Amino acid sequence: MQTNKVGLTSKTYDVDDFAAAQEFYHSNGWTDGLPVVPPTEAAVEACLEWGLMRPDQLIGIEPVRAQPITAEKLAINAVMAGCLPMHFPVVATAWQAMMKEEFLLHGVTSSTGGCAILVIINGPIRREIGAVSTFNALANSDRATAVIGRALRLALINLLDVRGGGIDRTTLGHPGKFSYCLAEDEEDTVWQPLSLVRGIPEGLSAVTVMAALAPRQIMNEWTTEPKEILETFAAEMRANQRHYSIYGGNYAIVIPKQLREHIQAAGWTKRDIAEFIYERARIRRGEWADVGKAAIVRDRAEKIHTALESPDHLLVVAAGGPAGGFGAVIPPWMGSKTKAVTAAIGACVDCEPPKG
Amino acid sequence: MTLRVFDPTNETKMAGIEPAVRPFSLQGKTVGFISNGKEGTTGYFTQLDRMLRQDLGVADVVWRTKSNYSAPADPHIIDDVRNWHAVVTGVGD
Repeated sequence: MQTNKVGLTSKTYDVDDFAAAQEFYHSNGWTDGLPVVPPTEAAVEACLEWGLMRPDQLIGIEPVRAQPITAEKLAINAVMAGCLPMHFPVVATAWQAMMKEEFLLHGVTSSTGGCAILVIINGPIRREIGAVSTFNALANSDRATAVIGRALRLALINLLDVRGGGIDRTTLGHPGKFSYCLAEDEEDTVWQPLSLVRGIPEGLSAVTVMAALAPRQIMNEWTTEPKEILETFAAEMRANQRHYSIYGGNYAIVIPKQLREHIQAAGWTKRDIAEFIYERARIRRGEWADVGKAAIVRDRAEKIHTALESPDHLLVVAAGGPAGGFGAVIPPWMGSKTKAVTAAIGACVDCEPPKG
Repeated sequence: MTLRVFDPTNETKMAGIEPAVRPFSLQGKTVGFISNGKEGTTGYFTQLDRMLRQDLGVADVVWRTKSNYSAPADPHIIDDVRNWHAVVTGVGD
């Protein structure tokens, strides 16, 4: 063990070769089970230089356990995940968003509920990093989204000890805990980007983070009517309320091109979609009795639970391949205990201007 | 070729947090329970309450429940902790 002399202060270790590095990191519990890119000085410094960050720059402090997260440590994990320097600003901004109090990072990462952190990228940076918003959008569509999503998870494991059986008490989890990142298809839609809908000025790049369960895929190829198409999405949300959690929170829906074009052609905006879904995605508490949960209906069978607390809580994302009448509903981890957070990359949109 | 690689873990230690002194005995002491409020905690804590009083001579057991089972304990509960000799908390479903 030695101390690096050129600005990076993390402990260093000498390993014989690439294969030895893999065994070293795995044996220390520092991976997600997949091979990692050895974080060398040159690779880590390149990330920091691209992000214009000093190694000791504070990305944020985890609110519950008061753990500081520095740019150096985040860059080490980003390199391990396979990030190129140009991916690092997205990783750093996503982490800043995750540490906002309303995101409830500790609950999100420790809960038995087993959610992952979904990252949605908007703005010009999508194209700069080569993020692909079309084919296979929710899976391994491209290098950038794969490694950015993975970097968030590796950093959780290594910087906050979010390991299964440790801080992470997840019962099942889902594959999004390896990587869960997509970019919106802004070029092929007339809708406003998600970031703009959520208050980020037009033209800025941004990330939105959401504590999310696995995507639930829907299919409706047999209509062009927006209400019928969206009814299928709402029905999937109602199913989630019945089978998982009845409580309202942030849901995301991903609408690929085929269904999107029908909705757009009818002149529907994202706001129109959100208002329709808000009205349709709701169930009576008594429906719990239909799915084996009569014990918790109690005397409130007629109480109505909306899947969204308001239309503002629906994240509508344009993404997916060009053909196929499919879509996805991405439910929240657990009602409104956590809120999705959107943050601009490389800009502060709510900072006070300098005085004097 | 030898590679020099970095430690990815958070080497920074939290400042100013020291574990409380552990009591040698619970005889005559006050023990607090902080429940996350989930259904399964009631039976567990009821049994533990009985064991603490009957088997270990605990003088008083104070029950508190968090308002949000996924968030840290509420400030008024943290304030109450100062009056207890030991606290029991954890995951419960």
